[in-house]
Amino acid sequence: MTVNTYLSNTGWLYRFDPRAKIFFLVLLLGWVFLPVTLAGLGCMLLLILFTALSNPGPRFVLSTFTSILPMIIFMVLFAPFNVRSGTALITIHSFVLLTEEGALQVLRLAIRFISITYLATLLFATTPMPEILLALQWYRLPYKASLIITLAFTYIPFIADGFAQIEESHRLREAGAHLERKRIGKIRSLIPTLTSSLVLALRSIPTLALSLELRGYGRANKRTRYHDLSSYRRTFTDFLISGMIPVISFLVFKA
Amino acid sequence: MNKEKHALKVAVVTVLTAVVVVFTLVIRIPTTKGYLNLCDVAICFIAFTFGPISAFLAAGLGTAIADLISGYAQWAPISFVVHGIEGLLIALIVRKQPLSKMRILLAAIGCILTVSLGYFVLSALFISTVAVAAAEIPPNMIQAGVGAVFGFALSKAIKRAYPPVSALSW
Repeated sequence: MTVNTYLSNTGWLYRFDPRAKIFFLVLLLGWVFLPVTLAGLGCMLLLILFTALSNPGPRFVLSTFTSILPMIIFMVLFAPFNVRSGTALITIHSFVLLTEEGALQVLRLAIRFISITYLATLLFATTPMPEILLALQWYRLPYKASLIITLAFTYIPFIADGFAQIEESHRLREAGAHLERKRIGKIRSLIPTLTSSLVLALRSIPTLALSLELRGYGRANKRTRYHDLSSYRRTFTDFLISGMIPVISFLVFKA
Repeated sequence: MNKEKHALKVAVVTVLTAVVVVFTLVIRIPTTKGYLNLCDVAICFIAFTFGPISAFLAAGLGTAIADLISGYAQWAPISFVVHGIEGLLIALIVRKQPLSKMRILLAAIGCILTVSLGYFVLSALFISTVAVAAAEIPPNMIQAGVGAVFGFALSKAIKRAYPPVSALSW
């Protein structure tokens, strides 16, 4: 099971300070909801797409777009019919099928949705998870929360592997009986597999608690850290850029 | 659980978070705006077995991490809020023992309403449109309903198969 969202590459976004990147992300996520012109929103999407193409690369752009394509199609097909006012674009006899306002609104919503998707996925594609957690700690995320997230990422493959092995052994014991079952039967047949997998996972809790205590968790002296964000030397510049782009683009494209 | 057992609490939430992630990613049925999965089975199991705090944290974090891993990062904050509240609500309803059939039914209804209405309101407000968000209400209701039924069944099965689990709730 792949749990890594980071895509290794060498673009400028990879050298951007993760703390500034989070700040930039939050500002841009707010920016797409501000009253800006449709052209402005389109320009911002182009800027985001250009950043995605020049950093993680075309494959990332394509795979992200493929994952949201069904929803965009659904949005384009059905959303315009909710707006009945304005200039009619398509009419069948006297029934107005599509208005100009409806088409413009769905275009705005689609651009906003695509922008949000790329913004959120770009952060995780260009920043390793430990650095995101360090950046979040810099923003005062509690130590306990970052510890849970870090440890959960190491436990996911362990539990997923356990599930796969148990599922396989249950399937071998049933010898093809699962092929004849209907959908509900198949879900019901998951119960023994899920129970065994859960017991396996729950049994690891006392061991994990013990190893945390052995490593000094809960004591006054905190554990040693070997990883920090000191390699990013342009923090101020990155924060400045992160603040300037949304502010300037809002002033330019204000509706 | 003793209030001083910080390491055990961290271990419980960590493993349960990982369990929610795995359940979310095991079976994935694509829909118009994401996918249907077994996350509600895991959340309901945790809420029925472990208490409100574990349920809130594991459900919220687990579903948010699953969204991040599977390339639906834009849904992560919404999943954190909706599923976190779902876990918390169910756990609070079923907390009082002995558990009556009425409270189990109430927990299942709470689960269905939280998931379907939560996703509808938040995705219509922040990500998509009312029409698109409304189209996802029926599949979300089915997913949450199946989750409540199988989550309760799993909770009973686990309590029989692994009795020490009762000592891990708080």
